[in-house]
Amino acid sequence: MARAVRSAGAGGSRLRQDPALLATVVVLWALLALFVLYPLLMLLGRTFLEDGRPSLHGVLGIVRDPNHLTALGNSLLLAALVGLTGTALGFLFAYTAARAGLPRGWRTLLDAATLLPLVSPPFTTAIAMIFSFGPRGLVTYQLLGIKGATVYGLPSTLFSETVTYFPIAYLTLRPILATLDSNVEDMAFSLGSSRWRVFRTVTLPLAIPGLANAFLLLFAASLADFATPLILAGNDFPVLPTQAYLQITGLFDLQGGAVLSFVLLVPAFGVYLLQRYWVSRRYYVTITGKAGARTAISGVAPWARLALIALCLLVAIVICYFYALLVYASVVVALGANHAWTWRHYQVILTEGMKAIRDTLVIAGAGMPLGGLYAILVGYLVARKVFPGRQAMEVVSMVNYALPGTIVGIAYLIAFNDPPLVLTGTALIIVACYVFRYSPTGVRATVALLHQIDPSIEEASQGLGASSGTTFRRVTLPLIVPAFFAGLGVVFIRSMTAISATIFLVSINWTLITVRILENITELSLGPAAAFSVLVVLIVFAVISAISALLRRLRAPGTMAVTSLLGG
Amino acid sequence: MDAAGIRLDRLSKRFSHRVKGEVYAARDVSLRVRPGELLTLLGPSGCGKTTTLRMIAGFERADAGRVFFGEQDVTGLLANQRSIGFVFQNYALFPHLPVFENVAYGLRVKRQPEAEVARAVHEVLGLVGLRGHERQLPHQLSGGEQQRVALARAIVIRPRVLLFDEPLSNLDAKLRVHMRGEIRELQKRLSITTVYVTHDQEEAMAVSDRIAVMNQGTIVQEGTAEDLYHRPASEFVAHFIGRVNLLPGRVLGAGPGGTELEVAGTRIRVASHGTGPDPGATVRLVLRPETVELRPAAPGQPPPGMLLGTVVSRTFLGEKVEYQVRVGETLLQVTRYSAGPLESIQAGQAVLVQLPTDGVALLS
Repeated sequence: MARAVRSAGAGGSRLRQDPALLATVVVLWALLALFVLYPLLMLLGRTFLEDGRPSLHGVLGIVRDPNHLTALGNSLLLAALVGLTGTALGFLFAYTAARAGLPRGWRTLLDAATLLPLVSPPFTTAIAMIFSFGPRGLVTYQLLGIKGATVYGLPSTLFSETVTYFPIAYLTLRPILATLDSNVEDMAFSLGSSRWRVFRTVTLPLAIPGLANAFLLLFAASLADFATPLILAGNDFPVLPTQAYLQITGLFDLQGGAVLSFVLLVPAFGVYLLQRYWVSRRYYVTITGKAGARTAISGVAPWARLALIALCLLVAIVICYFYALLVYASVVVALGANHAWTWRHYQVILTEGMKAIRDTLVIAGAGMPLGGLYAILVGYLVARKVFPGRQAMEVVSMVNYALPGTIVGIAYLIAFNDPPLVLTGTALIIVACYVFRYSPTGVRATVALLHQIDPSIEEASQGLGASSGTTFRRVTLPLIVPAFFAGLGVVFIRSMTAISATIFLVSINWTLITVRILENITELSLGPAAAFSVLVVLIVFAVISAISALLRRLRAPGTMAVTSLLGG
Repeated sequence: MDAAGIRLDRLSKRFSHRVKGEVYAARDVSLRVRPGELLTLLGPSGCGKTTTLRMIAGFERADAGRVFFGEQDVTGLLANQRSIGFVFQNYALFPHLPVFENVAYGLRVKRQPEAEVARAVHEVLGLVGLRGHERQLPHQLSGGEQQRVALARAIVIRPRVLLFDEPLSNLDAKLRVHMRGEIRELQKRLSITTVYVTHDQEEAMAVSDRIAVMNQGTIVQEGTAEDLYHRPASEFVAHFIGRVNLLPGRVLGAGPGGTELEVAGTRIRVASHGTGPDPGATVRLVLRPETVELRPAAPGQPPPGMLLGTVVSRTFLGEKVEYQVRVGETLLQVTRYSAGPLESIQAGQAVLVQLPTDGVALLS
C-alpha cells in the first residue's frame, strides 16, 4: 500500500516534469473516456434510468418476458456447447501439431485450415452450411435427394460456430502444449506409466488452465456472435444478440436493445472475471533448465498418431470443402439450381457493391495506422511509465475488447445518436469503434514485446540527456515496430471481417462489406454474398501476407505473426 | 533387490544436422557399469554423454548397439518397461501434484496397495529429509528441496538402475557440494547401479567410483579419478581434468629405471608409466601445477635435473601461491602451498624448477 502511494506520488511529479508524457496521458484518457467509458455509461443509463430516475422496470420487463428468458437460456446453452466442442477440436489440433511429429508441409496444411475461419467474416461458414445442407444444398438435395431439408436450428448453428471459432482454441493451446516441459512427461513415462496414463495424469492436468482459458474465449465469442444465429438459428432457436439486433433494427426500440444487451453483459463480465482471477493464476510455472529434446518414443503411440492425423485431416477437409463451395457458389448462376458458369455475381459486387467495398477499405485504411499508433502508445505507457491511473488505463483500454460486439455497437449507437456528440452516420464512429475494440490485441503485443526489452536501454538514453519523447522516438519505437505492425494488421483484418458491433453503426453514407453480405443473405441473393466473402478473404490474405513479410524483415525478439494475435 | 550391472555394447546414435549432415551423437560406445557402482559420464557439452544416458533410460532409441541390465537385453524395451529411476537437471517434478503424490506416482502406476504406498513414501521422504513437506506443491519448495523430491521419486520404486542427468547444475555452488555428498551417500547405502552425467570434473571426482570421459561421441578414457588425474591417456583428458602443464621433451633413452629425457636443454630422468616411447621421439610431460617445485636460483650452473626459469607472475591466494614460470618456450603453471623461502620471490626473478621424478605421464 505504502509503496503504491509513493510510486503514484513519484509518478505525479514525473508527469509535471515531462510535458510530452503529460500531454500523451491526457489525450489518451480523453479518448478512452469518450469512446469507452461514455458509451458504456450511456448504455447503463438507458437500461436503468427512466425519465431521469433510477428504475429496474426495463430489466424486470426482460426477465418477466418468457421469450427473452428463452433467448438468454439458448445463448448460454449455445455458448457452452461451442466452448466445449471448439475447445476439444482446438486441443485435438494443438496436440497433433505439438506431438504427432508432423512433417512441415502437413503442419502448414493444418495452419492454413485453421487460418481460413480466422480471417473470414464470422458468418462465412454459415453461408457454406446453407449451400451444403440447405433446402437446395449440395449434400442434402443434390447428393441425398432430401426435399425441403431444414438446416436451421441449434445443431447447425453449433456446428458452424465451432468451425468458425475453434482456431482460437488452437492458437491458445498450441503454445501451451509446445512449451510443456517434455522432461515431466518423460519422467512419468520412466516411472512405468503407459503413454495413455502419462497423457491422463500429467499432460491433461497441466493443460487444464489452457483448456479453461480456451473454453472461456470460445464461450465469449459465441455469446457475442449474432450473425451466425441470425442466418442459421431459425425461429425456433432465438438467441439474445439476435433479439437485441431485431429489437433495434426491426422495432426501433433502443431501450429494449440496451436492456437485452445489458443482460448479455452479465455472463460476459463473469467470463472476464473468471479468466482474469481464476485461470491466469493456475498456470503452472515449470522450472526451466536444459529443455530436453522431445522424444518421439515416449510421445504418442504409432496408431494414436495416425488416428490424430486422420481426425485433423478430416476437419481440415471439411473446412476446405466449405471454402471451395463458397468459391464455387460465387461463379455459378445459382448453386443448387443452375450450375452454369458466370461472372455475374462479381460484376454485381463490383458495381452495386462498389460503394461498400470502397467504404470498407477507406475505414479499414484509416483505422489501421490509428489503431497501430494507439496500441503502441497505450502499451508503452502501461508497460514502462509510472503515472497516476496507469492500471486503470490498462483495464479501461481492454473494456471494449472484452465486451460482446453487440453491446459495444448498441452503446455507441445510444451515445452518439443525440447531442452533445452526434456521430451516427459518419465514418468516424465506425473507425473509432474498430480502433478501440481491436487495438487491445496490439496493446498486449506491445506490452509483451517491451517485457522482453531491458528497461536499462531506455534509461541509458535518458541518462544521455534525451527527453522521454525523444527516447521513445529514437530508441523504443524502433524496438516495438513489430508490435505496431501486428496491431495494425489486426485492426485491418477485423475492419474487413467484423460485423457484430458495426452493424448498428452503418448508414446510407457509410456501409460495410460484411453488412452487405448479411443483407444479401437475408434477401436470398446468395451468389453475391459468396462473391463478397471470397473477395474479403482474398483481400485479408493479401494484406496479412504483406504484413507478415514486413514483420519477417523487421525480425526482432518476440515478433509474432498477425494471425497468432487473432486468438486471444 | 540385488543390483544388476549395466553393459553397453557398441551403442550408436546419429542425427541429421542442418549444416554438417549426418552427425554421431554417440559412436560405438561400449561400457560396463558394475553392480552397485556409480559411474560418471564426464565431458564437455555436446560430447554425447546425455544422449548415451537417454539411450540407457530408453528415452532415445539407439541406431545400433545393445543395452543390457544384468543379463537382460533391454534394447527393445521402452523407458516405462525398464525399471529405471531418472533424475533430470530441471527435476521435472509434476507441478500439479503435491510432494507426496509426486513421490507416490511410480508406486501408483504399479498399483501398490495404499498402505504400502504411504509406508514407502514416508520412508523415502525420511531418507532425503523431507518429512513434513508431503502436502506442499513443487513451486513452494526451494531448489534443494525440489532436488530431493526428484531423488526420492526416482528411488522409491527401487529401480534396477539410477540415472542422473546433470542433477546439480540448477543449484548454487554451496548447495551443489552438499547435495553431491548426499547423493553419493544415498547411492552407497542403497547400492543401486548408477550412471551420473556431468560436465563438472570436480563433481565427477567427488561422487564417482569410476569416471568415463567422453568427447565427440566416444569414450576416450575410463578409470578412477586418480587414474584420470595422474595418468591421462590423451591431451584432451589431461586438460579436461584439473589444471595441467604439457612440457615438450625428447626421449634420449628408456630403461627399466625410467625414461631419460631432454627438456629445455636439460637432461632429466623420470619414472614414467606405460610403455616407454622409443628414443628420439618427442613427447609431452604431463605436469600438474602442484607437483612442480621452485627454488631460489643460485649463481652458476643449475644443479643436475633442474631447469632454469623466470617468474612471470605471482598471485597470492591465501593458502596457496600461484606462479607462472617461463621455461624455455613454455609457460608453466606452478602452485605452492607453503611459500617458505620463496616468500620474497617476485615477478621477473630467475628460479630453479624441479620436476617430479615419479609418476610423470608422457604423451606422444
